[in-house]
Amino acid sequence: MNTTVDTANYGYVTARVRVRRAALFDEDDYRKLVRMGPGEIARFMEETEYETEMNALGSRHDGVDLIEYALNRNLAKHFDDLLTFAGGELYDNIARYLRKFDAWNVKTVIRGVYTDAGQQTIADDLIRAGAFSDELLDQLTEAGSIEMVVEQLSNTIFGPALEEAYADYEEMDVLVPLENAIDRAFYSDLLGDVPENPSEPTALYVQLLRAEIDFRNIRNALRLARSGADIDPSEYFISGGQLFEESELAQLTTNVGQLTEYLRQSSYRSDLENALDDLEEADSLIEFERALDRALLEYTDALTNRYHLSICPVIAYIRAKEREVDNIRAIARGKEAGLTDEEIEEELVIV
Amino acid sequence: MELQLTAAFLNAMVLQAGESAAAIPPATGAAIGFGLAAIGAGYAERSIGSAAVGAIAEDRGMLGYGVLLTVIPETIVIFGLVVVFLLQ
Repeated sequence: MNTTVDTANYGYVTARVRVRRAALFDEDDYRKLVRMGPGEIARFMEETEYETEMNALGSRHDGVDLIEYALNRNLAKHFDDLLTFAGGELYDNIARYLRKFDAWNVKTVIRGVYTDAGQQTIADDLIRAGAFSDELLDQLTEAGSIEMVVEQLSNTIFGPALEEAYADYEEMDVLVPLENAIDRAFYSDLLGDVPENPSEPTALYVQLLRAEIDFRNIRNALRLARSGADIDPSEYFISGGQLFEESELAQLTTNVGQLTEYLRQSSYRSDLENALDDLEEADSLIEFERALDRALLEYTDALTNRYHLSICPVIAYIRAKEREVDNIRAIARGKEAGLTDEEIEEELVIV
Repeated sequence: MELQLTAAFLNAMVLQAGESAAAIPPATGAAIGFGLAAIGAGYAERSIGSAAVGAIAEDRGMLGYGVLLTVIPETIVIFGLVVVFLLQ
């Protein structure tokens, strides 16, 4: 008997994330937030479920920084909760997925060290929701150079890829090779650990991840196609998706029209239809990227409705919560920068 | 040949049934039926209960719905009980 399947408590975790998903901000809340100034947003958040974090951080920070740190801390709290609730196979899969915050943290540290941001500034921006221990994260923030960061990560999943990319970084003095290496290490680890013949819940999990990789590849391909820069697309290619082969991507990035036509024929055509129309009409990459985000959220939601006792609702919740945090951050930062309400609304992805 | 054997077996069964009481007495049958119904209800309530506890932990307002949905499979046991009374 497979004991890991037995201890996976899908019913319990799914019920909890569904309640939390329902409590996320809706369109009305966003409409109110867009009309508020940073101070009012902070006050509004004190009356929502961000209350604990806002009160805890209120004495040390203020304004938009307070909102941002409270958002990060709240995100970490919720995702830690998920790991506390889950058991068995479900726990393993959630933990593996949450390593994306390790990837985020490593990127934050590298960027922080690169721009000589202070130790405290880097530490404030970390999201402590991944598998890295607090000790390791503290060591990383204390690192004085990127070489030291790479050294300290040698025993993690990012180690080999970062060491390889470090030479490129030294040569070009840009962060792109390192950031790519982090993304690729994360995704190859996600799919690399999956057993040869996965059980049905794990197979669904793989399907969700493949979709995420595909969408990321689409985004990278479009950015490359639009920029017209002479960059080798294979450097950005993340393997594991089902939509592109590496060689296909290299060819498609040369022509935006060809790429959109390819996407219209793909298995995501119904999810991407609106996004592709937007792209052709609006001719704006930013809008297309928002539409892609929306399409990925909708795709995850569709799988959630079809397989309600699986990891799908959990991943859908994680993505929706991340989206909410991104939206609130965009509103707060947009207000601070003096953008108009309309401009901020364009930044939001509301599903 | 096979047909003859089957016919002979059926004859023997009919004779046996006519001679003595049923292989399983009614009370035992009812007890087994009731037990199976109870196991079925327990199995159904297992996942509903855990989901209900999850929802209630998040939002106490779910208590009513949670309890209601958890006890619905209890009807299977009641059906089992009805069978027991019918056979008594």
